[in-house]
Amino acid sequence: MTSLLLRRLGFSLFSLVVVSLLLFVLTRSIPESPARIVLGDDATAAQIAAFDRDHGLDQPIVVQYAAWLERVVLAGDLGQSFTTGLSMNRQIADTFPVTMELVVVAFVVASMLSIVLGTLSAFYRDSPIDYFARLLAVLGVSIPGFWLALVLILTFAVDLDWFPPGGFVPLSEGLGPHLLSIALPCFCLAVFYLAVITRMTRSSLLEVLNQDYMRTARASGLGRGRLLMYAMRNALLPVVTIAGVSFGHMFGWALIIEQIFNIGGMSRALLTAINQRDYFMVQTVVMVFTIVFVLANLLADLVNAWLNPRLAAVAS
Amino acid sequence: MVNGCGGPAGFAGACIAGLLVFASIFAPLIAPYDPVAVSIIDKLMEPDAAHWMGTDQSGRDVLSRVIWGSRASLAVAGFAVLIGVTLGVAIGLFATWVRGSWLEQAIMRVLEAVSSIPILIWAIALVGIFGVRDAQWGPFIVSSETKLLVLLGLLYIPTLARLTYVSALGEVGANYVAARRLQGVGELGILFSDVLPNCLSPVIVQATLLLAIGIIVEAAVSFVGLGVQPPTPSWGNMLASGRDYLISGEWWLSVFPGAAISLTVVAFNLLGDGLRDRFDPRHSTSMGYAT
Amino acid sequence: MRQPQSVPPKPLLHIDGLRIAFKAGRQWREVVRGVDLSVAPGEVVGLVGESGSGKSLTALSILQVLPPEARIAGGRIVFDGTNLVGLSRKAMNKRRGRDIAMIFQDPLTALNPVIPVGRQIYDSLRTHQTIGHKAALERIQELLEMVGIRHPRERMRAYPHELSGGMRQRVMTALAISSNPKLLIADEPTTALDVTVQARVIGMLDRVRRDLGIAVLFISHNLELIAEICDRVSVMYAGKVVESSAVETVFETPRHPYTRQLLRCIPRLDGASGPMPTIPGLPPRFDSELVGCPFAPRCDEASDRCRAAEPPAWREPGHLAVCWEAA
Repeated sequence: MTSLLLRRLGFSLFSLVVVSLLLFVLTRSIPESPARIVLGDDATAAQIAAFDRDHGLDQPIVVQYAAWLERVVLAGDLGQSFTTGLSMNRQIADTFPVTMELVVVAFVVASMLSIVLGTLSAFYRDSPIDYFARLLAVLGVSIPGFWLALVLILTFAVDLDWFPPGGFVPLSEGLGPHLLSIALPCFCLAVFYLAVITRMTRSSLLEVLNQDYMRTARASGLGRGRLLMYAMRNALLPVVTIAGVSFGHMFGWALIIEQIFNIGGMSRALLTAINQRDYFMVQTVVMVFTIVFVLANLLADLVNAWLNPRLAAVAS
Repeated sequence: MVNGCGGPAGFAGACIAGLLVFASIFAPLIAPYDPVAVSIIDKLMEPDAAHWMGTDQSGRDVLSRVIWGSRASLAVAGFAVLIGVTLGVAIGLFATWVRGSWLEQAIMRVLEAVSSIPILIWAIALVGIFGVRDAQWGPFIVSSETKLLVLLGLLYIPTLARLTYVSALGEVGANYVAARRLQGVGELGILFSDVLPNCLSPVIVQATLLLAIGIIVEAAVSFVGLGVQPPTPSWGNMLASGRDYLISGEWWLSVFPGAAISLTVVAFNLLGDGLRDRFDPRHSTSMGYAT
Repeated sequence: MRQPQSVPPKPLLHIDGLRIAFKAGRQWREVVRGVDLSVAPGEVVGLVGESGSGKSLTALSILQVLPPEARIAGGRIVFDGTNLVGLSRKAMNKRRGRDIAMIFQDPLTALNPVIPVGRQIYDSLRTHQTIGHKAALERIQELLEMVGIRHPRERMRAYPHELSGGMRQRVMTALAISSNPKLLIADEPTTALDVTVQARVIGMLDRVRRDLGIAVLFISHNLELIAEICDRVSVMYAGKVVESSAVETVFETPRHPYTRQLLRCIPRLDGASGPMPTIPGLPPRFDSELVGCPFAPRCDEASDRCRAAEPPAWREPGHLAVCWEAA
């Protein structure tokens, strides 16, 4: 178990190093030089050289990467934006919690609803609830969240006026308005993964219900509750993996959803940075997303290892 | 025909997808109006007999723009998958070829590592920093669409390479391959004439599902203004400009392009599911959906 | 002592004209076509046949754990005076595991892979008995010892994949006998095991059922095993019992050609050389129309009569054979 844990952890770290290196190389292979962007077209060669020296850009890329890694890992300092000179730690701290809240709320809603729905759908196969779940699964993966967002704004915010059409009301201004302001964005974010996880739960459970050990459990006269527990312990294994991946992906989609609902989360940080051609900020934001993604996968792996004793056996 | 797509749902998907491809190729002949012809007098007209999907804020015909917009979506999704499949299969086969060596281990570990890249974020960020404006690259003009499809294709590689590798490794160990080896067929010959054809079906299934993902990613990137640039229509940028008119009640500007995206995604998903049911009935659910 | 001639007055299990249908495409086909079978208290009855003969479906139908594509199409399964066919799920659950228990063929797939084996026995125990947590744990240890598992305290925490095949089948047995059932159905319990392990597991089963006085319905394709532990045996072919009698009778004076052929196929250790005899041909497919005796195409004694009409049952006290030539 411990060796499995260490192995997964080691692999996640390795992923982060490879991915961050790739990102680092990519952001530094852009034809425009940062100095030109900041200093403008009138800058002299000497000014540009000075700028590059100040920011370490005259060093070989590996040296730059090592310096960056050292600063980020040892000092926890993401550095400063080129264009605005603001601390990137500060900018991330301002925007990250907003995005995180949207994603966590959406994730919790999506996974809880979908596991219940997928379970009912598998147990009552070919019943109305099964048809409903299957229809939802097809629609949910096919309707793009950003289009759904527009339709929902049109219906529930413009026509019915139940929710604000956009904007983020912080919790400090009251729980009610806060929840109303995140309800539609969270819903739009959740629908796709609700569909994906429902589908996965349903098919995984259907497969498990056909297994010999479920026949043994029925032949032992176990009650419905026990049978459900016996089935779910097995059926949830692939669901957990999908849920982990989904969490990371939801973070990505939150970017678009925030744009539509005009919420000042990480999307604003990223798009502003892109518009200002602030590569280092872009790199930082992308890295934060990637870390969340890798951590979510790692967590799913660990939960799986805990749920599935065979995994630990394979690893050791 | 129906069975070839894995049942009626898959066949329906194939039909819709076929129609869309047809519409995008023959857009100049099918579209009733010029998609970029501005006509201020006709602006923001509701759908009627002359303009089935109404007109936009510049008086352009929405139907014609939706038809022309399919070009951007399908081109990005299609070419990205083409790039991903070509390079992914090549890398996967190469890893199989050098199996047992440190190189195989290195390739597979790196592929696993980079498959933890969230595609959408990387697509947006990289297209963003490589510049939305057209770039000159030798004799070629590289538009943001081209940048997007190349990037997307590269981002698809890890998934497809690992898929190829896993199924190729299964084939390499199969008895019929051992028999071919005894016949004196070389390792490379076996790889291309026996292993490759037999491990393509999961790749085809995955590629179909990646087409659906590509449609959504292209729309999302154009939606935030980093993909196809106006006035060239794309479903994503039409949605983005339609958003401003939603509040004032001009729903047709965003509803129709959104419906087009949904329809296309449904079609490719149905086709992909159908193909999977046909090729690999045991695994009728996969992770193909999560972008 | 075995009493081959005496038919016990009141059987524990009495199956009467059981028919089971299997879904083939859109049609239901009968694959078990009127099976009669009875098991007296404490008796061991063997049910033998090739795969596809319907013996396993017959066994599964008693506990009503048939696969979804199979259903009981007719007949009665009377256990302890109650007809189990058509019983509610709740009433059935009172008997499953408590009065009737079952051991399955492959203990690796038949045990839940992610739940410790002790826990699986524990859940069954506490479903059927009012027993405290501590008492249940002690009972599990006792059960595991009874089936020949050493260090039961550690073993009960193991997962199925951590145990050997023979060990798993012992656990399976412990699970089955945990609530002192009156009838144990063993569906090919040793087929998935190595030959050497087989003998030990069979020995264990025989000892346990003697100690607890459990009646056993033993399903197998292996006549040798049946001879070893059964009192009576029924031979199934194509969904019907074709011969049924005390074990000795079947071995000494088999009446059905199929039984004779099966007996010929038992490997001999007496030095007889030559090729292993086999029964030529295949049993009828379950979706084919049957005319006449289903065994006729493979029977070397078959006449036109056999191919034309279904054979009648030939009876003698304690002996039944369904064959035109039996008389």
